[in-house]
Amino acid sequence: MSELKPGTKIGLNGGGQVEIIKELGRGGQGIVYLVNLDGAQMALKWYLNDPGDKFYKNLERNINAGAPSDAFLWPEYITKRESGSFGYVMKVRPRNYYEFGNYLLAKVTFKSVTAMLAAAMKICDGFMMLHRHGYSYQDLNDGNFFIDPSTGDVLICDNDNVMPQGDKSGIMGKARYMAPEIVAGGIPDKYSDQFSLSVILFMLFYANHPFEGARVVACPCMTESYEKKFYGSEAIFIYDPNNDTNRPVRGIHQNVIRRWMAFPQLLRETFIDQFSEEKLRNPNTRLIEMKWKDIINKVRDEMVVCPHCGDEAFVEIKDSSTRCMNCGKTINTSLRLILGSRELPLTPKTEIFIDTDNIPDGRVAVDTTGTTLIQNVSPDAWVVETASGKIKQVDPQGYMPAKPGLKIKLKIHNEDYNLEITTK
Amino acid sequence: MALLDDVVSVPRRTMTVFFMIDTSGSMEGNKIGAVNDAVVNVLPMVDEISQTNPDAEIKVAALEFSSGTKWLYNEPKLASEFVWQDVRAGGLTSLGAACIELNNKLSRSGYMQAASGSFAPAIILLSDGGPTDDFQSGLTKLKSNKWFQAAIKVAIAIGDDADKDVLKDFTGSSESVLIVHNIEALKQIIRTVVVTSSQIGSKSSTAGDVSKQDQVIKDITDAVGDIKGAESAAAPAPAADNYDDWD
Repeated sequence: MSELKPGTKIGLNGGGQVEIIKELGRGGQGIVYLVNLDGAQMALKWYLNDPGDKFYKNLERNINAGAPSDAFLWPEYITKRESGSFGYVMKVRPRNYYEFGNYLLAKVTFKSVTAMLAAAMKICDGFMMLHRHGYSYQDLNDGNFFIDPSTGDVLICDNDNVMPQGDKSGIMGKARYMAPEIVAGGIPDKYSDQFSLSVILFMLFYANHPFEGARVVACPCMTESYEKKFYGSEAIFIYDPNNDTNRPVRGIHQNVIRRWMAFPQLLRETFIDQFSEEKLRNPNTRLIEMKWKDIINKVRDEMVVCPHCGDEAFVEIKDSSTRCMNCGKTINTSLRLILGSRELPLTPKTEIFIDTDNIPDGRVAVDTTGTTLIQNVSPDAWVVETASGKIKQVDPQGYMPAKPGLKIKLKIHNEDYNLEITTK
Repeated sequence: MALLDDVVSVPRRTMTVFFMIDTSGSMEGNKIGAVNDAVVNVLPMVDEISQTNPDAEIKVAALEFSSGTKWLYNEPKLASEFVWQDVRAGGLTSLGAACIELNNKLSRSGYMQAASGSFAPAIILLSDGGPTDDFQSGLTKLKSNKWFQAAIKVAIAIGDDADKDVLKDFTGSSESVLIVHNIEALKQIIRTVVVTSSQIGSKSSTAGDVSKQDQVIKDITDAVGDIKGAESAAAPAPAADNYDDWD
């Protein structure tokens, strides 16, 4: 076992060195130190025991390949093997990011549903990019995420088990987050990542575990064999429509009981499907991250700011008006922005998210005469075609009336989007 | 009611760390002083682990045994609420009676009544001698207890006079018996054992299907190698594939 004292200098592979400043935290595998690298403060994860050649080479390869997206606190340098072990250097986590566990313990809460949805989107995007680069994460659990509660921005950490899809890191994962086939002794891969991702998303939205209901609470002592049963061979989703033996328990699973019906039907249907017996048993039929992103987009489309009370509220897309779940007053959602299969209700103060980068592209406003407007808050001009065929331009920060029949062409990150305003 | 109002913590299962502390006359002096000091210092660490752990809430219970047995509190307590009263040494070593007492509390009508359920407990036995009562019948009874069977069990033998066979009987393997030879090692071992056991619920497991008990013991054994004056009671691994050269 190897620990490092402040002042110790450790050489980096490829030149340079880091100097230990102080310990930031420790886990089962190793210690994270604050270090000085050429005057910059970085974090060093130092393994208590040298995990071996294969691990070292894999880490080295991942560092050379670079991070799959900016969602990752990716290893940037690997140290030489000295003082009995080695470690890797990454950026220091900013102060305004809190561990996901703190959200589960209700010590930190999202400032808004918008932030919560942004976090979900960013997590899906991160794993989409990771899998797209041919990796699997292998050990996806609640300890891997740091989230900013006001923006929902996410940093994915513990990227040292990331392996090419199909390779074994030797890690199985954490109980309650492992896919059933891994609990049964399988090898983690991108499909088991996708299962763990669904569990994380469920916990992010509903703040309870998808398999922990009456049946699991009734078990007085959670031993390893019960764990294998309740989270593996006999896992039952708490809202399984065909099996009501594991429903959430009042007084214990409060969050999910409160939120299950308050959050959109699309989300309910998706989780019921993802945690159905069929999807649990057949890993390659699970939802891919890109589809998750589509779903989160649609869920976000259904979230508006209530023009009466100013709180965030979910509306039913299929209806032209919805009662606000906070103040009970009617929200008129008949004015719509159509984008492919998506319909975005245009209600005052609601932000419009066209793509998946979590940055609003438009904002709905009302002028002094009561006309509904859309503000272009994106960096590029929009081109608008009127019902009579006239072409208008809406510059960044500029406004346009939300008149049915207007067609909008815009570009975000070099991607073209065609939208149209309609009424329901 | 706004959408994110009134969010409460996820329900957590309780993991209880049981200390069984030998307070017989032979523990008097440095030994009992070191035990008291180690436990007082490890409680804030347990509290920290419990507070930041979304999987398990960690509680502590302590049973001292000498001529009789005594629980320090009549229920498991959060580490933050567990005010350690220094235990004093004197009297005999009623380990058999302690086993029976532990057996009584390892039940849902005893100490294991957490509303959201429990994880298997961790039981840490500290002793420097051998039992002076009917240990075997006490242990037999305890061994039929399902909570005990599922528990992580570690024994710390203080000095050479501790009856290692008895401790091995209690934990079920020589790997789970740790021997300490000095006060500093005793303190470090208590810290390592308690912290490792408390963290086990939130650790990722590795391939090879190692049980939690095995994993805790492996982590502790790794750590023991670095502590001067501490060793595992397990036999050493073979030094070679065979010893034919020595024939």
